[in-house]
Amino acid sequence: MELASIIQIWLAALFTIWIYTIAFRDDAFFKFAEHTFVGAAAGHSIVYGVDNIIRYGWAPMTAGNMMYAVVFILGILLYTRFHQTYFWVSRVPLSVVVGIGIGLSMRTTVTSEFIAQIISTAQMKVLGLDAWTGFSNLLFIIIVLATVYFFIFTFPKAHGGSLGIISKVARYGMMAAFGYSFANTVLSRFNMIFGRIDYVMNTWLVLPYAMLALPVILLLAIYAMIPAERRPWPKKS
Amino acid sequence: MAAQPKTIWDRLEDIPREILYGLLLITIILPMIYPIGFPVPISAEVQRWYNTIDALPAGSVVMIDFGYSGGGEPELAPMAVAVYHHLFKKGDIKVVTMSTSIEGPLLWEKAMLELNPAQYGKQYGVDYIHIGYIANVEAAMAAVGKSISATTTTDYKGTPLSQYSIMEGVDNAADFALLICYTTGGDQSEGWVRQWYTTYQTPYLSCVLAMMVPTMLPYQKAGQIVSVTSGAQAGQMELLVEVPGRGIKSADVITMTHLLCIAFVVVGNIAYFGKKFSGGKK
Repeated sequence: MELASIIQIWLAALFTIWIYTIAFRDDAFFKFAEHTFVGAAAGHSIVYGVDNIIRYGWAPMTAGNMMYAVVFILGILLYTRFHQTYFWVSRVPLSVVVGIGIGLSMRTTVTSEFIAQIISTAQMKVLGLDAWTGFSNLLFIIIVLATVYFFIFTFPKAHGGSLGIISKVARYGMMAAFGYSFANTVLSRFNMIFGRIDYVMNTWLVLPYAMLALPVILLLAIYAMIPAERRPWPKKS
Repeated sequence: MAAQPKTIWDRLEDIPREILYGLLLITIILPMIYPIGFPVPISAEVQRWYNTIDALPAGSVVMIDFGYSGGGEPELAPMAVAVYHHLFKKGDIKVVTMSTSIEGPLLWEKAMLELNPAQYGKQYGVDYIHIGYIANVEAAMAAVGKSISATTTTDYKGTPLSQYSIMEGVDNAADFALLICYTTGGDQSEGWVRQWYTTYQTPYLSCVLAMMVPTMLPYQKAGQIVSVTSGAQAGQMELLVEVPGRGIKSADVITMTHLLCIAFVVVGNIAYFGKKFSGGKK
């Protein structure tokens, strides 16, 4: 294995262990790993940002497409927000960016997120299916309608009296959805932890000296978790 | 006033997090050392995903968005690698990859190292390519759908796309038989529905973090996405593709950690109701 790969694996394993120490207690190793990560991520983004400007802006412009000069000017104008008098100029390029973003997503949002969903719900069959699917579809339709009803805030009376049952059904439906989301979040997190521990155990620990280094690294991490005044060494005078 | 002694219910409610995380760590590591071998049933979503790729005619070109960040790598990479295995095993399928995540190209390289396309006789630039990270999520999707050559002229390494044979006759969404997206971002997974499915009706497979699945399911139900899976289902895909990897290994761990999670919830509830019925909590 190349030396560069070995160094990369050692660093990845060390940072993984240091980051996870926060689960037990805050310590200097966690802080170091956290700050390094933030710095590296920022550096990586800057490099890619510059690369993007060169690839998608500078290269086509120098190749003769002068339309890109307009984009460059707009980009530079964004920085006027740091000027006390001309900060308002930055609103122009910002409005272009926001306008393009909204325009692009809005052109299909109505179709993809309203019409298609409404058609899909309206086409759901309840009869002529097996009992479980029919019941499941019926429940789905009831909860969709109840949840839409729940968000009608214009008429407060619509949620009072016996009509309150609709809001209650909607609340139960939403709680079930949030519960499902939360359970999936837990699943995601466990999967991520597994991925990192698998890396430490099967990629790093198989390297020479890693098994020897592990107890030292763990002991140092545990020591760093002890508050400074309770550490056996060095003694504070 | 002297503090009241802690009851058993108080102690159960305030178990130190070090103990909880310690138990979690043990529950993760033990099945890794001593695999239990819980069954891994194939879900309808994963089967549908597999069938969609299996039904691709020879000569098809597939677009993949390698749009996940480093944090999502442990969950999404096993699925991405398993699907690449399937695509390359099938034979005459060309795969064009792009990234809507800034870390995408780096993570793609890592996945390729794990996959080793050469074992299927696949060559970079001929059978597969990465056209790089393209910024501004939905604008990038729309631009690439309209014309790849007008969006970028080089691959992720900066080599002109014109030098690669895979790009001959491939320029816009109409040239792709299938779109696959792996992502840790809602903007990406939903953006492809808006910019490619709705505009060009390109069949779309989406693999997201498990926590994003509930948000994506309505699109699947409406037929806008052929199949939505989570990275946690990678083990199922590995079984179907017959290339065991990280996904299968995680199955035991995921099951055990979830059992532990249920145990924590039960203990928490016992403590809560125990305290309530013993008069400690109104």
